[in-house]
This record gives sequence, C-alpha cells and structure tokens, in this order.
Amino acid sequence: MRAKVGVYICECGPNIAEKVDIDGIIAGLSEFDGFGETELVVKKYGFLCSKSGREFLEEEIRNLGLTHLVIGACSPRDHDSTFKGVCGRTDLNPYLYRIINIREHCSWVIDDVEKATEKAESYLRGGIARVLRQSELFENPIDVNPDVLVIGGGVAGMQAALSLAAEDRRVSIVERSDRLGGRALELSGLSSGTFRGSDIAAGQVESVMGNPYIDVFLNTGVSSVIGFLGNFVIELLSDEDGATTEISSGAIIAATGCAVYDPSLSGSYNYSDRDDVYNPLEISRMLSSEGGVALRSGGRPENIALVHCAGRDELNYCSGICCGVMMKTALLLKESIPGVDITEFYRDICVPPHEGRQLYESVLEAGVDLVRVESAGLSGTTVSFREKSGVEDQRSFDMVVTAPALIPSPDTADIALLLGIPLDDTGFFQEAHRMTDPSGTTTDGVFIAGTSQGPRGILDSMRFARASAGLILTRLIIGEKLVPEVAVSEILEAYCTGCGNCLEVCVYGAIYSDGSKGVSVVNEAICRGCGNCFGSCPSGALRTKHFTNTQLYREVDEALR
Amino acid sequence: MISGEEERMDAAGIPYMIRPGKGPEGSVLDLLGQLIGSGGADALLLPFRVPSGDSFAWIMFSDVSLLKDAVPFPATMPVQGGRALRSLTRKEKGKLRIIALMRPCEIRAGMELSKLGQVNTENLILASYDCPGAVKLEDYVADPVSCDSAHSEMRSRGEPSGNARSACSTCVDFSMVDADIHFGYFGIKDGGMLVLPGSPAGRALLEGLNLEEGRGLLPQWEAEISRLAERRAATREETFRETAERISGFDGMLATFSNCIGCHNCQSACPICYCRLCYFDSEVSRTDPEALITAAEKRGGISIPPDRIMFHTGRLAHMSLSCVSCGQCSDACPVSIPVADVFSFVAERTQRAFDYKSGRSDGEALPLRRFLKNELDGVHEMVKDAESEASPNE
Repeated sequence: MRAKVGVYICECGPNIAEKVDIDGIIAGLSEFDGFGETELVVKKYGFLCSKSGREFLEEEIRNLGLTHLVIGACSPRDHDSTFKGVCGRTDLNPYLYRIINIREHCSWVIDDVEKATEKAESYLRGGIARVLRQSELFENPIDVNPDVLVIGGGVAGMQAALSLAAEDRRVSIVERSDRLGGRALELSGLSSGTFRGSDIAAGQVESVMGNPYIDVFLNTGVSSVIGFLGNFVIELLSDEDGATTEISSGAIIAATGCAVYDPSLSGSYNYSDRDDVYNPLEISRMLSSEGGVALRSGGRPENIALVHCAGRDELNYCSGICCGVMMKTALLLKESIPGVDITEFYRDICVPPHEGRQLYESVLEAGVDLVRVESAGLSGTTVSFREKSGVEDQRSFDMVVTAPALIPSPDTADIALLLGIPLDDTGFFQEAHRMTDPSGTTTDGVFIAGTSQGPRGILDSMRFARASAGLILTRLIIGEKLVPEVAVSEILEAYCTGCGNCLEVCVYGAIYSDGSKGVSVVNEAICRGCGNCFGSCPSGALRTKHFTNTQLYREVDEALR
Repeated sequence: MISGEEERMDAAGIPYMIRPGKGPEGSVLDLLGQLIGSGGADALLLPFRVPSGDSFAWIMFSDVSLLKDAVPFPATMPVQGGRALRSLTRKEKGKLRIIALMRPCEIRAGMELSKLGQVNTENLILASYDCPGAVKLEDYVADPVSCDSAHSEMRSRGEPSGNARSACSTCVDFSMVDADIHFGYFGIKDGGMLVLPGSPAGRALLEGLNLEEGRGLLPQWEAEISRLAERRAATREETFRETAERISGFDGMLATFSNCIGCHNCQSACPICYCRLCYFDSEVSRTDPEALITAAEKRGGISIPPDRIMFHTGRLAHMSLSCVSCGQCSDACPVSIPVADVFSFVAERTQRAFDYKSGRSDGEALPLRRFLKNELDGVHEMVKDAESEASPNE
C-alpha cells in the first residue's frame, strides 16, 4: 500500500508561528520528492492540542486515509500522550505517529526566523523518514496487583499493614527476627503515663496476628525484587531453612528500622563491659525487670550521670529524639531509686514542642542537675567535660547512661540495593523529596516509613507509615488497568553471545541469563524500554522496539540531508 | 607482577626450581607430564606443529606419550589461546580439568573472556611462561627454519628482535600474569627454571610434585625481568609516540587505514571480539542505500562501500577496554596495516580513563558494567593531553 503521511504543524498560538515560517515549510515539504512514492499531506493548525484541534486531526486521519502521522509541535513531555490518544480514537496505530518538537528545539531557542525555519523543516523531514520505518505495536493492559509487601515488622511496618488491611488490601509482612514489634517492645521500661509506645506495639502485634488480610513471614529476608508499581515479583528467603517463597505485590513499603550506635567506637568514650555504662534501652530492660536498676556489683547506684549526644561528632547529625528519652530516663530513675542524684550533661536541648516543654520542667522540678557542656567523654564511669564557659573538669559516678545516636540498621544498604533506592549521606533511605514527597522514593511503587528513613520516635514512625499506606491506596486502585510498556527490548537469540553486559546495566532486573543456551533473555512484562541494554550490546543482538537502529539512523540521516 | 612478589608468595606459596639439564622446554614438558601422571588434571592443551611444518595448532590430549611432540614455546601465535579456551568452556565449566600452557597475553585474553561470560575458568589450570615474543606469521610461513632459529635466539636473550611482531617488542606484560602456574627462565643461568605458583590451585598442584625449593633463583630472574621490561617499555613509548602522530585527526585515521580491504580479518583473529555476528557485519549496521545517495548529493561524492573508518573506530569502542595488545590483528592483516599499534595505543588510554587494566584476575568488574560517581573525572584533561601529544609542535 502506498504510504500517505499526514504532517500537521501546530502554531501554538504565537509560540511557534512567530519564529518559524510555517507556510514556507508547508511549501518546501510539499515540493520535496525525497520520499519516493510516499504521499505527503502538510497542513497547519492554531492549537492542535485543543479539543477542536484533536477533532480536526481525527477527521483528517479518517477522511484522508492517512497511514502515518507526524505532528510538528511541542515537547513530547507535554503532548505525546495527547496525540497518541487521537490515534487511539481512529484506526491509526499510535506507534505509526511521531511528535517532532519544533517549539523548545526551534522557535523558543532561535531568534533568527530563517534559521529556526530551516531547523524545524529538517527535523520534520527526519520525523517523516523515521515514521515511515516505524511498526505497529499493540498495548495489552493488565490488572494492577493491589497487594502490598511490607519489609520490617516494627511499629511502622505493622501500622502500614494495618492501615492497608483496613481497606481490604492483602499485605505480607517480612520480618528478619523471630517476632513482630521491633524496638518499641524493648522500650516498655521507659514507657510511662497514658501513652505507652510498648503497649501500642503489643496491641499492633495482636491486631496483625488476628488480621485475615495480613500474612506474616518471620525469620525471613528479601532475596530479590523485580518489577515496578503495580507489578512486583519478590523472592523471600527463610533464614531458618533457606527455602524461598515467591510473592507478588503492587507496591512495597520498606520499614527496616534502625540500630543504636556503639559509643565505645568513638575515641572519647572509653569503657568496657565491666563498667556500669549503659544506654537507655538497657536501662529500660532493667527498669522492667524484677531486680530493678542495679550496679554490676549488686548495690543501688547513689549517683548517675546521663551523657547526651554520644556519636554526634562522629556521625555528624543529631538524632533528635534522645533528649526526650534521656529526660524520661532521668525521671524514671528518680522514681525507681529513692534519693538518687542525677546529673545530665547536655550540649543542646532538642525536644518537640508540647510534651518536650512539660518534660523539661518536670526534670527541673525533680531536682536533676543539668550541666551544659561543649564536649564530654568517658573513662569508665568518670565523666570528663568542658563547660560552655571553657572550664574543664571531671566527675566520677556510680553509673553512666549514654544517649547513643540512632544509626541505620545493618540491612539498610542491602535492602536499598535490592529496591533500587538511594541512601542519604547518613546511610538511611533517601526520600524522593524531603519536603514534597517524604514517603516516596526514586523507584515508583517503593515507599519508606519509620526509622529506616532517619531517627524518629514511635508516634512519628506511625505517622509516616500511615502516609505511605495512604499513598498506595490512592495510587494502586483495585480494578484499574496497567498498560505495560510495549516499546520494550528484545534479544535475537541467534546473535546473542551471552556476555551479560545487558544484565548488568538493566535497572529493572528485566533480563536473565539462559545458561543452557548461553544467551540472555528479556522478560517483557518487566522491561520498561529504557534502552540501556540496547546501548550495551556490542553485537546488535538487542533491539528496543520503536527505537531501532534503522529508525534512528534514518531520522538522523534525513534531518542532516 | 614483580613488585607484588611478596604478596603473591603469601597467597600462592613459595617458588620451586628445576635444575639445568633438559632446558626450559624439556623441563616444562616433563613437569606437565608429571602433573597429568599425578592425577592433578585430566588433559593438557598445548601447541603442536602442523603437518606442513609452517604453523602450530592447539591440541587437547590426555595421552602423555604425545607430549614429546608438543612445542611448548612456539615461534608464532596462529590462533590466540583465549579463543581456544573459549571453544572449550564457552557454555559452562568444562567436564575435564585441563592444564593449558599459553603466552601471558593469551591468558590475559582468557581472563577478559571470562569476565564476558565466554570462558569458564573453574576447571582450567592456566600456566604461563616468560615470553620473548612471537615471529610474524608472514615471515614464518616463508621460512620456518630460519625463523625457528631466530626465535630460539629470542628465547635465550629474552628479547624480541628482527622478525618479531611489533606488539611483542612493545609488550610489558611478557612474564608472570594472573595464571595458576608460571614458568620463569629469563636470566637464569645454564637453562635452569623457576616454577612459580600463582594461585592456591596452582600451589596445590605443585605441592604434590616433590620439587626443589627455588627462592634462591628469584633475585636473578627478577633482575632480568625488570631489565627487559624497561627496554620494552622504552620501545613502547617510542611506538606510541609515532602512532599518536600517525593517527592524529580524521585525516590521520584515514591515511592509516586507507588501504584496508574490509576483510575484517583483524576482527576474526581478535580474541576479545566474541560476538556471534559482528555488529559491523550485520544488516542493522549497513547504511541504507537512500542515505548513501543523500550523502553523495550533499558532499559531491562518497566512498563505496562506506564506513571503513567506522568499522575500526567502532571496534575500538567495543573492545578497547578489554584489548590485551596481543597483536593478532596486525598478524592477520593481509595489507600490513599496523592495526595492533593503533589498538594498543588507544586501549592504553581508554583503560587508563577507567582506571582499569585488561587481563587481570577475573574477579575485577568490567568498567562499562559498573557506575561510579567520579569515574570520568579527569577525562577532559586526558583528552587535552592526548591532543597535545598528537601535535607536539603546537
């Protein structure tokens, strides 16, 4: 069949019309005979993206029997999908159309009308040459998977799972340890008053275990993740028997928690296991044990030092929650050991607005001695410090409690690699944007929550978990269709040598190796058509549909004619 | 590997020696025979002289009685050993445990092919030897007898000379590389030889043989290798300088490759070019006739078939990061283009740009497969350096 290419140039109001001689291009292309038998129809229109413009195009395609369509207009980022939609409402396959950007590339950036026109015309010639070599492709919508995988069974992970399950989503929680609850459960000794974080965590565990929508995998890690929003395939690896389980989900929430810094790693805190130096988690355990807080030798401490900011200099950040924890610890110690003297060595007080102020006042009322220092160090249970005034001193105590920084849990980097998300410069998961998208990541469909994205308390961890769950509920709607990319890559088995270049550069994990044949294979359901593999293949065995060499070369050749 | 000698010994064990008597060739064959006899391996892969007498072929065998006809240090390199390894282990590890005796550049090619999934080293024991260089194929076919004596002279002096290939005269990796076993004989008096384990596997094999400890021979061998390496490095510098001048700019490339007949022998002989079908032989790379006409109209005329320079620059882009400078391309060229000089020169620079050296252990990642934030820092300066190198008068 003889090709009939419709070339429609958008004036974009004055945006293109003022700087590009559209009539000149129409005349030039109409006379051009470089496309052999191909018939060209070249016309202009005010705003092709407007409703009337789209209807005009639909009529032209139908009435003239166009076999291909070239639009000379704006950036494909603005209106590629608009014109694909136009084709979709006619019999013209959307992959036999091409948008050429003569606005951003020509009229907006070139002052000289003659030069802008010449460039626009050569771009359009290239577009015509390319569209003639394009092939029909057919989209095949699939159902989105509305299920969610949550990595980490602490307060954040459990909260996210419960919020999702409340909306009838099936959730799988993968937890590395042998129980749900995470760090919050260790804090029972430090919990007081009406809000008890450990009680909340314990309540969550009960709700999760009884929830028919939630599956829990304990002693289990994640060994591979492939796919994208709406269509992930995850391999779970049991730490107990090494067995693997494959599950699929539409989204993933990473809530892998945090760890506690070891102050003895820094040069200024010198103590050993024999010294009475503890962190608040250890105090919490003592407080909730039968024996209460006691020295290693058995007696009760008469005086205790609380040293803030352990690791702040080494790690170069403030964890933000330790001051509150230390003040609470001071009050509970006072309550638990009658007559004990408590001194807090702090650098700055960092407490959240409401509870923090009350806590601070309670600490003062309880008679805790607050000493502001510039730096502090330990030698056993002797605290050496330099006060703000510059005075250096040291004092010995029966017991010392440090406030170590919260650091990323040891698995964080491995999980980030599996999920294809970056870490920030402190080693925690990095948000897509700290202000505008603090629960999303750079990988669509992967969300984060809790202390895996930075130090925070139980309440904040739960807030962020709800945010991630909410985002998933609005992005992943049951019954909605997902159109997998059709301009995907394919590997011609006869030419592939199985060198594995493409495997290494594929960011979606869409390529696997078929060892028995010695070739690489593309999983088209996962491929997004980015073309990385195409660029890495030395032998031409790889082809990315809709971006073939022939199409690209002909476009360039014709544009440079 | 001289500078890392102590490290190597820690990892691989102490060196052994073989006393003078049979000479390096006899000693190597003897030792390989013992290794097969002791059950350390199932088969050997060695060069043999072909019936016509003017070339060599790789033979894999397990019958030890054939050993006497093998030529451990052949004068030429008709088929690069990396290609032989690939034929044997292309899909998965070989069923047989094979000891292969090869030149250092052949083993380095094997390492690159291993990184590219074309060679599986798991069941291979790679043995290298001090290589004096190879004679040009063309010369050897014309007069094998006098070339054999020239090569024998090269072996005793440890240096390429006369009809040696340019790639060999400029080679600085002619001794120990990442092999399991290395036979060192340069600079050792009266035909004695060092046997150096290069890996735990090599050490395990040698430990079973009851060899004499050879630490005493190390100093004389190391001194000779450094002396020879310095001399070859000087030749390399000089050749690179000439090459830089010759290929400078598009006109330089055009002049260098102007008599290329497009046979693609260089690519067929290259051990690194592993593609089933070279991109430049495939339909997708062929220029559309329409585009040729367009180009001819625009420029007034074009050379047909086109893309002669494109083939060579394209091949450089595809394989120069893995190029081991073995010189096969020059040997294979029927019109005597110094292909290897150009490829070695470019390879040295592309590898430097990524802080990579081809042919080292197969654990190292290929540069184009890893992404480092700062990996291209300094490339701009390198380009400037290269430009000023190419036109020293400016």
